[in-house]
Amino acid sequence: MPHHSAPLGDTPGPDRASTLGAPGPDRASTPGEPAAGRPPVSSDPGRVSTGEAGEPGGGAVPGVPGTADPVTRLRLDVLAEAASEAPPGARERLLAAARAARPPAVAVAGIAAPYAARVAAMDALLACAGEADWSRTIVEGWTLQQLLAHLAATDGLVAAAIGAPVAGPATAADADVAERTAAMIAHVAGQPPELTRADWRAQAGAICRRAASLDPATLIAPGGMAFPLPDHLLARMLETWIHTADAAAAMGRSLPLPVAGHITPTADFCARLLPWTSALSGVEAADRAIRLTLTGPGGGAWHVPLDLGRAVVPDDGSPVDATITCDAVGFCFLLGGRGAPATFPAEVTGDAGLARDVLHAAPALSGP
Amino acid sequence: MEGPGTADDRLLHQRVVGGDESALSEVHDRLYPLVLGLAMRVTRDRSVAEDIVQEVFVTFWERPLAFDPDRGSLRGWLATIAHRRAVDHVRTEERHRVAAIGPRLTEPEPSPLEDWVLAADEAARVRLAVSRLPGEMREAIELAYYRGRTYRQAAVELGLPEGTVKSRIRLGLRRLADELAEKEV
Repeated sequence: MPHHSAPLGDTPGPDRASTLGAPGPDRASTPGEPAAGRPPVSSDPGRVSTGEAGEPGGGAVPGVPGTADPVTRLRLDVLAEAASEAPPGARERLLAAARAARPPAVAVAGIAAPYAARVAAMDALLACAGEADWSRTIVEGWTLQQLLAHLAATDGLVAAAIGAPVAGPATAADADVAERTAAMIAHVAGQPPELTRADWRAQAGAICRRAASLDPATLIAPGGMAFPLPDHLLARMLETWIHTADAAAAMGRSLPLPVAGHITPTADFCARLLPWTSALSGVEAADRAIRLTLTGPGGGAWHVPLDLGRAVVPDDGSPVDATITCDAVGFCFLLGGRGAPATFPAEVTGDAGLARDVLHAAPALSGP
Repeated sequence: MEGPGTADDRLLHQRVVGGDESALSEVHDRLYPLVLGLAMRVTRDRSVAEDIVQEVFVTFWERPLAFDPDRGSLRGWLATIAHRRAVDHVRTEERHRVAAIGPRLTEPEPSPLEDWVLAADEAARVRLAVSRLPGEMREAIELAYYRGRTYRQAAVELGLPEGTVKSRIRLGLRRLADELAEKEV
C-alpha cells in the first residue's frame, strides 16, 4: 500500500493525508479477506530472473531463503542446452490433448473475455477438487457444489436475458436471484458434482458466445437490474472471481490474479458503481466528487462525481472534495463484499469523512 | 528446488489458469528441450520421453493450481514432474522385465530429481566437468552459478561486456552438455 506517496493533483481543503481504519500492524491485512484474493507477492525486482535461456545468475542469492540451489540450476540449464527441439507437430498434438483435458476459455474478444477467463479459472480450481472439497462449506453455508449452483443461477438470468440456453429449469430473466439460487441448489441436489460443473461451464460458454454477437449497447435487466450488457458481463466476472477466491481459500489453494487487462475493466465497473452504492447507503453528497486512484495491476485514476446524473470518467484533473488511493484488486473485492470497510487499507486526502462514507458504502450492491 | 518463479512464470501461470491456450504454447516452446532432455536422461528412449513431455504439459494445463510460483520456478516444477514420470516408467518396465526373465543382481534405482541433482557424486561430476572447461568459460560459469552473480555483476568482475559473458556461459553450457554426455542419449 502506498502509505507514503502523495496523491496526484491539487486538492481543496487541508493538504492532509490520513488513513482509514485502525492504525498499527493490523492494517496491513484485512480480516475476512481471503488470502487467495490478495495479489501474489511480486518477485523481487532486484533479482534477475532464472529459467530463461537469458540469465542464469539470478536465482542464487547467498543468504536469501528459497533461492536456487546452484547445482540444480546449472544441471537444468545444461539439459536445456543439450536436448533437441520438439518434433514437428508436437505443439499441435499437445494443444489437442490439453483441450480434451480442460477446455480453454471461450475464444471471445472484447467485452466477454474477462468473464470467460474467470470461468476458466474457476474450472481450473474445480479440476483439483477432491470428493471432500465438493461437500466442503465455502461461503453463505453453501458447499462447493451449491456455490456452483448459485453461480449457474445468477449466470442463468443473464443467459435468459440474452436468449442463450439456460442451465437447469426454465426461468424468467427478471426472476429473483435468491429464489433462482434456491431452485438451482434443489436442481443439483444428488447430482454428480462433475455434471453440475459441466452444466455451469456450458451455460457460461453459451453466454460468452451469444454476448459477443450482440450490440454492446444492449440494455438488459437480469434479476431486475437494468445495465448495458457489458456491465452485466463484468458483474459476472467479478462474482465468479470472488467466489473462486472464496473456494480457493477454503481449499487451501493459492489463486493467481487475472491478467491486468482483465482487472482494468472490472475496476472501472466498480468505480462507476460508487455513486450508486453511496446513494443506496444514504450518503448525501450529490454535489461532491472524489478522485479514486487504484494502484497495482489493473489500476488507474477516476473522477467520481457522487451524482447519479453525472458520469464517472477517467481522472481529468478536475477539482474534487476528497481523494482515495488504494489497491485495485482490494477495491474490487470491497465492492464485492469481501473485506471490512473499517479496516480497508486506503490513503485519503481532503474531506476524510466523505472518503470514509464512500468506502463504507462501497459493498452496498454486493449480494451473496 | 530452484528459487521462486520469475515474473514471466507468474504471467504465464495467470494466463494458463485463465484458460489462455497461447500461454500453453509458449510454455511448450520455451521448455520442451529441457523437459525432453530430462525425460530422455532417465528413460534413454526418445519416443517414450516425448510422450512424457506431452503428459507433463497436459498435467500443467489441466491442474495449473497445483503449481505455485511462490514456491518455485515453473521449469523446476515441470522438471520434477517429468523426472517422476520417467522414473515411474523405468520402474514399470523393469518390473515387466523382472517378471519375464528374473531379477538382475544389482539394479540401479532411478532417484527423484532432487536426490539425483544433489547427490554428492552427481554434484562432483558436474564440478569436475566445470573444472575441465577452458578458462574463460569456466570463470564465467563459476561466477554465474557457484557464486550467484548476475550477468552484469559477472561482467563487471571480469572486466568484459555483458554480451561476451553471456556467450561464454552459453558455450560453457554446451561444452558441459557434451562432457556430461547428454547431447543425444
